[in-house]
Amino acid sequence: MASVCGTLEVAVWRSASGRVAAWVDRCPHRGMRLSHGFVRGEMLSCIYHGWRFDGAGRCRKIPAHPDLDPPETIRTQSLACLDAQGVIWIASEAPAVAPPDLGNVVPLRSLTFEAGIDAVAAMTGEVPDRSLLRLDAHGPVPPLVLLLQALGPGRSAVHALAAPTGTGALVAASRALEDFRRRTEAQGIAA
Amino acid sequence: MTLPAAAIDEWYPVAMAPDRPLRPDQETTLLGERVRVLLDGQEPRVEANDGRNLPVIVRHGHVWTSLGAPKHDLFAIPEGEQPGRRLVECGAIRVRCSPLRAVENFLDIAHFPFVHTDILGSEPHTEVNRYEVRIREEVDEVWATKVTFYQPQAAKSAQGGITTEYMYRVPHPTCSVLYKTCPPRPGEWDIITLFVQPLEEDLCQVWPWMALFDDQTPQADLIQFQQMIFLQDRSILENQIPRLLPLDPGMEMPTRADLTSVAYRRWLKKRGYHYGAQLVAA
Amino acid sequence: MRPTLYDYVLSPSCYKARLMAALVGSELESVAVDFHPGGDHRKPEFLMLNPAGTLPVLTHGGLILTETTAMLVYLVRLAGRCEWLGGEDPASAARVQQWLAFSARLTASLGLARLHDMLGRPADIDAARWAGTLCLRELESALVENRLLGEDFLAGNAPTVADVACFPYVMLAPDGGVSLDPYPAIRAWTRRIRALPGFVEMPGIHRLHDLRPEPGEAEAAA
Ligand code: FES
Ligand SMILES: [Fe+2]
Repeated sequence: MASVCGTLEVAVWRSASGRVAAWVDRCPHRGMRLSHGFVRGEMLSCIYHGWRFDGAGRCRKIPAHPDLDPPETIRTQSLACLDAQGVIWIASEAPAVAPPDLGNVVPLRSLTFEAGIDAVAAMTGEVPDRSLLRLDAHGPVPPLVLLLQALGPGRSAVHALAAPTGTGALVAASRALEDFRRRTEAQGIAA
Repeated sequence: MTLPAAAIDEWYPVAMAPDRPLRPDQETTLLGERVRVLLDGQEPRVEANDGRNLPVIVRHGHVWTSLGAPKHDLFAIPEGEQPGRRLVECGAIRVRCSPLRAVENFLDIAHFPFVHTDILGSEPHTEVNRYEVRIREEVDEVWATKVTFYQPQAAKSAQGGITTEYMYRVPHPTCSVLYKTCPPRPGEWDIITLFVQPLEEDLCQVWPWMALFDDQTPQADLIQFQQMIFLQDRSILENQIPRLLPLDPGMEMPTRADLTSVAYRRWLKKRGYHYGAQLVAA
Repeated sequence: MRPTLYDYVLSPSCYKARLMAALVGSELESVAVDFHPGGDHRKPEFLMLNPAGTLPVLTHGGLILTETTAMLVYLVRLAGRCEWLGGEDPASAARVQQWLAFSARLTASLGLARLHDMLGRPADIDAARWAGTLCLRELESALVENRLLGEDFLAGNAPTVADVACFPYVMLAPDGGVSLDPYPAIRAWTRRIRALPGFVEMPGIHRLHDLRPEPGEAEAAA
């Protein structure tokens, strides 16, 4: 999948055995986005000419020259990448500190907001008005942890995790997040 | 930005030739400038934004014009005149990419198994055999010859897989002509071209055109086969980074299979054709 | 006698009929109509068949169908593969209808943006993309909720005509300048559809090469 780290466009992928890696989203061959690639076993192949890269980003196969052992210099540009508590964390250089402990939560969903990260952060204090939401199936919204990621000016991603709870409450939480997005974006339009 | 003479003084396709009923005037863009194509039944005319009449050539099924004053004629495709060929205009498809990236993709065969899967190529037949590339100085064109590739369904008329032979010719910075084994007529070449109209440095319109020996396949099928192939490339072209074609080595890494692309980039650089190109490695 | 599809290779609506036929294992006779650049769908001969001048058209014996969702239902019933129509309880049947109706909004938004970006058709491109974005957000949320309920597809745990009706314009949204990057649940759903037995592509939708083993390697996928 495609993501963003600061100003870098990033391809994040998971191998068959579950290992995650994050690379600059550009194939060293002809610049194709690696996030469009395909995964077979422990390697990712670029969709354009099928160059195949191992988990460390080193090119292992060039299908146009099947007998060639690709030189070690052909590699993708790797970022630091960590899979913890159901969240994939990336950094352009490995940071000294570990990601925060999020407590007892499970991933719920990720949403993209047409609003800058500061605008999103500023809205997190607001309590949603749920007076219209009268679906019996939905319970009260469980406590949520929101991880904010800047995608660029005026764009951000919100990765939401929730305390483990019943399905109905999780559905309610998902709807509350959409409500939160609508209000945050409306704020931006009003401003 | 001021455009380099190499880009200004060049012919570009802007419309299909009006061999059919009158068509309304068409507004289009060329090198960032609005132009108007007038197809009112007379000879086609092209007007610049300021009302200036631009030079016009009608050839290879299309109307060609120039914002400047080309000192050379538009390239010829002599084989296209052979009797018995079907001429097929495929219309324009717009792509958010550099016109030069569109041409380079057309010159590339190594992507067939992954992008044109089970049509122009398929795994495990991914190997690109040695072929010959040179810049023919006397005509100032790039030529790649003896290009061969195993293809499951090389053309609309092909039944089953064959090893196809190709020749590529680049007679123009944004146009390429492909000569390809012609299944119904051994010894002759089918002609498939890609004429690219640069709208902006990173936006273009392609006008595929074909001159084939095929009197069986309905016209609509021929057009759709070519459109299908090109549309498979479109999603690749819109996702190459950077959008502009890097002319300096270092940013992208070619192999022996990319000799045509390497020669094309070198040729563009030598001609000073930088519209849609990136000169300094980022 | 097989049904005949009046077909245009780049049309996602025509592709719905081709995909449905492939998924239920039946074959269609295809007649290519020169939509672009010829505009043959607006010519008198074609209007005799379909006065609305739209593609696709499906004919079978004396039957002429011009609405894509009707074709999907017809192809499913013809093949006797009624599981593709969804469950028979009121809620399941209604959910299928809900998404069939929703698919028209995808055509009007994402489809319009695609025609603009690809074939240069006139459109208010920002409005078309934003309407498409709102559709994708709705779809994403519904798929998130379905997953929470343990369902993989739009109307339950098995694919139906609803998935076939919505998949093409969604998958081809990037053709009209609308990225699918913001929608993880949609991307997972499209991969499930692309992995269905019998699935066929259309130009702009690449083969899911992940499903094939690497040549020269032992069945790594197993
Ligand atoms: S661009 Fe990635 S393999 Fe060629
Ligand atoms: Fe191609």
